[in-house]
Amino acid sequence: VTDAPFRIGVDIGGTFTDLVMLDTRDGRLFNGKVLTTPHDPERAVLEGVRGLLERHGVRGEQVRHVIHGTTLVANALIERRGVATGFLTTQGFRDVQEIGTELRHDTYDLFMRRPEPLVPRRLRLEVPERIGPDGRIVAPLDEAAARAAIRALREAGVQAIAACLLHAFANPAHEQRLGALIAEEAPGLAFCLSAELVPEIGEYERGSTTIANAYVLPVFARYLARLEEGLRAAGLGGPLFLMLSDGGTVAAEVAARHPIRLVQSGPAGGVQAARVIGAAAGAPDILCFDMGGTTAKAALIDGGEPARSLDFEVSRVDRFRKGSGLPLKVPVVEMIEIGAGGGSLARLDALGLVRVGPDSAGSDPGPACYGLGGTEPTVTDCDLLLGYLDASSFLGGEMRLDREAAEAAVRRALAGPLGLSVPEAAFAVHETVNTAMAQAAAIHALEKARRIEGYALVPIGGAGPVHACAVARKLGIARLVVPAGAGVASAFGFLAAPISFALLRGQVAPLASLDLASLGAMLSAMEAEGRALVAAAGVEAASTTIRAAMRYAGQGFGVEAAIATLDRDAIRAAFEAEYGRLYGRIEATLPVECVGWRVTVSGPTPVLDPAGGTTPGAVAFKGTRPAWFDGGFVETAVHDRAALRPGETVLGPALIEERESTLVLPPGARARCDAARNLVVELPAAP
Amino acid sequence: LSTIPALRLGTAWARIAGLMDEAAETFVRTSFSSVVRDNWDMAVGLMDSQGRQVAQSSRSVPSFVGTMPRTLAAMLRRHRPESLSPGDVLISNDGYLGTGHLNDITMVRPLFRAERIAAWIGSTFHCTDIGGAPSVEARDAWEEGLTIPIARILRGGVENEDVIAFLEANLRQPEEALGDIRAQFAMYEQAGPRLFRILEEEGVESLDALAAEIFARSERAMRAAIAAVPDGEVTDEVTADGFEHPVTIRLRLAVKGDGITLDFSGTDDQIARPVNSPLNFTRAYSNYAVKCAFDPATPNNDGCFRPITLVAREGSIVHPRRPAPVWGRHLTGHYLPMLVLAALGRLMPDRVIAESGSPLWNVYFTGEHADGRRYVRMFFMNGGHGAAASHDGPSCLSFPSNVATQPVEQFENAVPMLVTEKALIPGSGGDGARRGGLGQRIGFRVVGAKPVTATFRHERVAHPPRGLLGGMPGRGGRDLVNGAKVPAKARIVLRPGDAITFETPGGGGFGDPAARRAEDRARDAAEGYVA
Repeated sequence: VTDAPFRIGVDIGGTFTDLVMLDTRDGRLFNGKVLTTPHDPERAVLEGVRGLLERHGVRGEQVRHVIHGTTLVANALIERRGVATGFLTTQGFRDVQEIGTELRHDTYDLFMRRPEPLVPRRLRLEVPERIGPDGRIVAPLDEAAARAAIRALREAGVQAIAACLLHAFANPAHEQRLGALIAEEAPGLAFCLSAELVPEIGEYERGSTTIANAYVLPVFARYLARLEEGLRAAGLGGPLFLMLSDGGTVAAEVAARHPIRLVQSGPAGGVQAARVIGAAAGAPDILCFDMGGTTAKAALIDGGEPARSLDFEVSRVDRFRKGSGLPLKVPVVEMIEIGAGGGSLARLDALGLVRVGPDSAGSDPGPACYGLGGTEPTVTDCDLLLGYLDASSFLGGEMRLDREAAEAAVRRALAGPLGLSVPEAAFAVHETVNTAMAQAAAIHALEKARRIEGYALVPIGGAGPVHACAVARKLGIARLVVPAGAGVASAFGFLAAPISFALLRGQVAPLASLDLASLGAMLSAMEAEGRALVAAAGVEAASTTIRAAMRYAGQGFGVEAAIATLDRDAIRAAFEAEYGRLYGRIEATLPVECVGWRVTVSGPTPVLDPAGGTTPGAVAFKGTRPAWFDGGFVETAVHDRAALRPGETVLGPALIEERESTLVLPPGARARCDAARNLVVELPAAP
Repeated sequence: LSTIPALRLGTAWARIAGLMDEAAETFVRTSFSSVVRDNWDMAVGLMDSQGRQVAQSSRSVPSFVGTMPRTLAAMLRRHRPESLSPGDVLISNDGYLGTGHLNDITMVRPLFRAERIAAWIGSTFHCTDIGGAPSVEARDAWEEGLTIPIARILRGGVENEDVIAFLEANLRQPEEALGDIRAQFAMYEQAGPRLFRILEEEGVESLDALAAEIFARSERAMRAAIAAVPDGEVTDEVTADGFEHPVTIRLRLAVKGDGITLDFSGTDDQIARPVNSPLNFTRAYSNYAVKCAFDPATPNNDGCFRPITLVAREGSIVHPRRPAPVWGRHLTGHYLPMLVLAALGRLMPDRVIAESGSPLWNVYFTGEHADGRRYVRMFFMNGGHGAAASHDGPSCLSFPSNVATQPVEQFENAVPMLVTEKALIPGSGGDGARRGGLGQRIGFRVVGAKPVTATFRHERVAHPPRGLLGGMPGRGGRDLVNGAKVPAKARIVLRPGDAITFETPGGGGFGDPAARRAEDRARDAAEGYVA
């Protein structure tokens, strides 16, 4: 099937399942959108795939492979729709999963709660055994007791078992033996071993991840089996790949064993899309800004590489507060999420100041201007009143927005009590939400040890382009790349991103005494492993990058720098250039340590057709309408995005409309349509 | 009356609060000590030109609530503002001027704009070793380590070598302390220009103008919340285990109109043991409790605390005179929020919690590895949380301080000991309509061939956490060596094979146990939360 020309990307979202098909012979893209079927999600996928093939006269065997991302795993955890799960651990430690870190995620909330453990205390059983920190066996596994515990769990009706023994990552022997005993005592029962899933120190986080994986495994495995069967029936014989939370790809059979690695699958596709779009515009350093209906997310891409982390949380008690959820040690594209979307509610707080979110009007009743019964003002209502959105052309004119309802909501809740005009109050909301987003992005950048002033901002999601220029300005960012069709960005990202695998090795060693020969051998081995993985996915390996995390001896956090040659002075220079840029100071007399190495091997970047989609002969200029800039309404030009041709330039103030979104271009900004039909915006600093 | 439009105020304030969090993040990322980067035992603050607190990093532990302006005021009595230049940094760790003990070092830098001091940025951080020989036996403050008098550690951006030399000569780990100090110099250097850029971009003429508005609105919000509670006066007292004798802290709390008075005058005298809580520490934990109960959401600033009047008698354990030892001042200070909330509970029962299993429990293990390397390792363990009217107390949750535990696997990699269990103690939560959170039992065994010294000082052994409004007390804590009870404040040398076990206290219950729902009792029994 390797010469089959078509590739399909599918993203299952909350409302829609998006599909994008790529013809690899000429780079043309075909989009599809069907309603998600939450109870059996494969139905929408299969319906969408069949529709796409029929419309474009493509046969199933012409499809090389399908790359799929889904929120199924995350939703099963959030909505607690996994299976009854049992937990086995070292004697004396079953309560670790309930005690957690002992830290308050909110210092001032006397009533703060923690998430309920996925496995209740009575289904967390202990087995006598002990492995020491060096991996030596301190006490042997008591097999009779282990068998009894497994039988007890089976009799209690569990459908999956998670096992996490102390120091199993240093010596997995006892866990492996437990796995064998589970297979004997409870044949056919799903189980998951911590050292196989997360070979990392930290019993709480490793155990929590193992439990979450076991909890969703049977549900996800059944789903995948149904989907593969359906695809085969539709004539698609090629492999099914899944998008991992870190933007990597895996075969379906691997995903079925470790479904927890898909917990952030869809958003990872959006970041991949931003990366490809930025790269096409010559921007390797990107802040991806994804603003939808209920939340906004931000992710950093450095030198074409999305920032990744091994820390994630699900099932947060307080959705936007770090530390309030169940920890997961899975590789993810790192992003922050804040409660600031188009549907976020605006109100005055106890201090008489404007507050936005984190609660949202959702899609029902939705913003006041949807006319579905919402009476509280939202960000979208304010964007409408400021003239950024048009009442008649929202969603291509399918939904007429109610301006009076928006005005009434803003007047009653904000403008009246504040003694401001309606547009002034609406602008306060717009500004507040932009500030919140910029603030969150700035702190996220610091956590990732990045200074983002030189980055390009790539907005996706329906509300992204409306707020992007204002957010960029607050962050000191001068350049944006605004893609067309931000609404199907994730499915596009699955296809557009090169297939890629990142390999990490943690290894703390002083730079001065680093054995460069064995380091070189280790890096070569990592590269070989990455190349083999890329080859298995059916493409040629195209590029390899090496990055090292380093710090001054005694510090706890590393700063990552790209390494070109394995030379001590060059490595130190690369570190200090980065450290000095970040913190404005270097410690020239202190020794440097290397703490980790990352090798990324990627396949070739898929070729996409840059010109597809232009409306031939159309006129971009649609007229004018008043929009709020610099403290008052300005009669502002409105352009049709689909009619802009490569090379054309639009000067701000302007509004550039497409079906799902509008780019708000402030005075002084200029947007140029580039060869790939992205709008590249140059933004002068605030006046 | 307002010089700044509300729409500007909201965003400018949010950006300045964010700037403090950014600065804190920068410090944590570049820190050389575990206590800063793992426990966030630090705070960054911004003061207006008059030295009043405008903003503080949000993840700060409560010990630092509002202490920095008081330290700054003391510094400015020594160094008049006119004598300071751009790039100067003042330093001190005097416990009686700072946060209550020598381990917290505070530094402040003036931020100049148009040749005048427009703002102050400062930070406080915990320095694990401060020299000296702090111990539960200390009889005065001099035993507790090095006092850095108010000094100019940076002059016009250049390090004062005399101050640095003093620090190097007195500390056991000067690289760590100086690494952290220099990381903060870099943090101040970056924060100044960013502050003024924010003010310019938001069109706010000065930080003072913004501060005045923030103070006024925060004060109004706090006063409105207090005024919504009926006037009343209640007295309450809590007894700490103490040393030879128990120590009683007495509170008279009065809500009158839109103000609140906390009067600790009746509290017992200071003692010649390191548990005295200097006034700044007493104030921080008292203010913290009032803030939690009335207005938890507003970011900390000077205005929030104006409606609170604190009265304490000099010479008492909550307002000691020099040179009373203060190293373990949390053993008194952590009682204060629980006492304040218990008293408030009689006026507003739905807004408080019963007592928790604290002051914070911890243990220091010191000794030598087989290869002769020395180690000092601290291990934190929290007790059960007090119950509330709306729900049971969470088990093993830090309050009022906010300190995480560490993974057992990490601990065992650092210290030649094996952790034998870390388990909830069934039945340790106080019964009530809502049950208190459970405490935990954690056991350690010496597995190396060399002895290990365990140093600890625990409370709530003789006097367990109280229940509230009919709720029962939690179970008291216990310290055991090889199964036998040992004193709760001790330094014990453990031989190879010895086992030491700590049982943290359970949280107090809330409301009459007879009112506990049958389904809650059934769940407690099914899950083994009760004995």
